[in-house]
Amino acid sequence: MKHVQAEILREYGPFPGADNVHGVTFDGQHVWFASGDKLNAFDPANGETVRAIDVAAHAGTAFDGRHLFQIAEDRIQKIDPKTGRVLSTIPAPGEGGDSGLAWAEGTLWVGQHRGRKIHQIDPETGAILRTIESNRVVTGVTWIDGELWHGTWEGDESTVRRVDPETGKVLETLDMPAGMGVSGLESDGGDRFFCGGGKSGKVRAVRRPR
Amino acid sequence: MDSLITAAARALAGGDPLGALKRVALRDDPPALALRGIAMAQLGDLARAKTLLKNAARGFGPREARARARCVVAEAEIALVSRDLSFPSKALDMARATLEKHDDWVNAAHARNLVVRRLLLVGRVDEAERALADVDPAPLPPASRAAYELVVAGIAIRRLQTKTARAALARAERAARHANIPALTAEVESASLLLDTPAARLIERGEGRPLLLEEVEMLFASQALVVDACRHVVRGTGTVVSLATRPVLFALARALAEAWPGDVPRGALIARAFRAKHADESHRARLRVEIGRLRAELGKLAEVSATKRGFALAPRQAGELVVLVPPVEGQHAAMLAFLADGESWSSSALAIALGASPRTVQRALEALGAAGKVQSFGRGRARRWMTPPVPAFPTVLLLPGPLPGD
Repeated sequence: MKHVQAEILREYGPFPGADNVHGVTFDGQHVWFASGDKLNAFDPANGETVRAIDVAAHAGTAFDGRHLFQIAEDRIQKIDPKTGRVLSTIPAPGEGGDSGLAWAEGTLWVGQHRGRKIHQIDPETGAILRTIESNRVVTGVTWIDGELWHGTWEGDESTVRRVDPETGKVLETLDMPAGMGVSGLESDGGDRFFCGGGKSGKVRAVRRPR
Repeated sequence: MDSLITAAARALAGGDPLGALKRVALRDDPPALALRGIAMAQLGDLARAKTLLKNAARGFGPREARARARCVVAEAEIALVSRDLSFPSKALDMARATLEKHDDWVNAAHARNLVVRRLLLVGRVDEAERALADVDPAPLPPASRAAYELVVAGIAIRRLQTKTARAALARAERAARHANIPALTAEVESASLLLDTPAARLIERGEGRPLLLEEVEMLFASQALVVDACRHVVRGTGTVVSLATRPVLFALARALAEAWPGDVPRGALIARAFRAKHADESHRARLRVEIGRLRAELGKLAEVSATKRGFALAPRQAGELVVLVPPVEGQHAAMLAFLADGESWSSSALAIALGASPRTVQRALEALGAAGKVQSFGRGRARRWMTPPVPAFPTVLLLPGPLPGD
C-alpha cells in the first residue's frame, strides 16, 4: 500500500455565513458544499461564492450531471440546482449515521460514518445494492477513473484513501497534515480532490497522486 | 460527523435540546450518547445526563481522546452544578491536559475555569486565586467568559476587593448579553445585587447602621480598630488577631468595644461572656483571668484597663474603635458568622470555635441547612459546611461540545 503525505494545493474559505463544511461536490464548474442549512457554491478558480440554496444539508453532497443530492437527517434529497427545489427524497441507508455521498455510473455511494461502511444504493428507491466494509470511519466518498476514494477522520488523524471497490482493501493513503480533517470528498475529474475541512469552514484542494 | 449527529448538534447549539433529543433518542453510539447527555443536562435531568456522558466517554475509541476529555469536562460541570463534590478533580485535570495536548484551547480553558470554580466552591479561596492565574480568558466564547468573570468577582468579593469585583461583574454582564442566554444574564444581575445589599452592620459609639461591602472594605483600610463579629477577629492597621477559637475572649472584646469610649461593669461582662445571671466570686476570679488573656492576645492593638466598676478597652494607636456585626443577628448568628468567611468548616471545628457541644452544633447546622442558609458536602467525618457561595458559580450549564472530529 502506498502511504504519502497529502499535498495541499489551495485553501478556500472560511465562507461568511457557513462555519462548517459537511459535504462537498463539484458540478464541473463550481464546488458545492453543505453547511447545515445551506448548499453553497463557489468558483474554484477565484474562490468567490456564486450561489447558495436554502436546504437542510447535514452530511454528504453529490452531483449526477443534472441534480444535486444532499443528505439531511436520515434522508437523501434530490435537488434541482436551477430552482433549489427538493424534487424527491429517499431513505439514507445508514438511517442517519450517513456521512459521505458520491454519484457514479447511475448509482449513489453512501459512506456510513461510525458504521465504517460504504453502501451502493439505487438512487430512485434507496435500496442497498452492495456494501463495502472499511476499517476507518467514512467521512466522504468519491469516484474518479474507476477508483473509489474515501475520507477518514478520527481524532487528530485524517486521511484520503483509495480502496478496492470489491474487497474494501486499502490501496493507497494520503495523510492529511496534523489538525486538518476531511469532512467531505470530491474529485474534480482531473488531478485534484476537494476536501471539506469540518469546523474550520474551509474547503481544501488536495493533489491526486498519479 | 454523520448526518443526524450534525442535525442534532445544530439543534442543541440553537437552544433546542428537545429537537436534538428527537434526532438521536434511539442511538447509542458515543457521539449520540454525548449529545443526549448534554441535552438532558440542559433539560435539568442531571442524573440521567451524568450516566449518558459517562457512557459516551467510555465508548469513544483510542483515537478519540479529545472527545472523551470533553465528555469528562461536561460531566465535571454537571457534578459541580449539582454540588456533587465527589467528582475526582484528578479526572478533570487529566481531561484538561488532554485538551491542551490536542490544541483544543476553548475547552481546555473551560476545564481550567471549572477547576477554579470547584476550589472556590469548597472554600479553598487561596488555591482558587492561584489557579485562576493560569486561565487565559481570551479564547473563551461569551458564555464561558461570563462564567470566568463571575469567578473573578467571587474571589474579589471574598477578598473584599469591591472595585475588582464590580469591574469583573460588568465584564460578566457584557459577555452574558453577548452570549444571549437570559438565565446567565439573570445570574450576573443577581450577583451584582450582592454589592448593593448591606453586607454587615457597623456599631460605632453605641449606634448601629448597615454597611455595603464597599464600605466594609473602606473601614478595613481605615485607621479604625475593628472588632469584627463577622469573622471573630480584631483588626488593626496591618494586624489581624483571630479569636475564632476563643469565644469567651471575643465576647469580652465585643462587649468592651460596643461600650467604647466608656467602660463595662463586671456584672455585665460576666453575663455576656459566661452567660451567668448572678456574678459570684468565682466568676469574678475567672473574669480577671480571661481579661488577662485578652490583654495578651490584643497586645499592641488595644489596651484593656481596669476601671472602678469594671473594664475598658482602648485602641493604642487607632483613633476609632468600632464593631462590625453580620447584617442580621438571629438564632445561630454566631455560627453563620464563622461560616461567612467562605471557607469550609467541619462541625467539630465549629463546635470548638463556638464553645458548644458537637451535638448542639450538628442540630443547628441541620436547621440552617433545611432553611437553605448553609450547605454541606462530603460524608461522615469528611463532611464540611459552608454558607451558600458568593456568585462565582453559575448554575447555568455551559457544557462544551463533546463531539469528535470537529
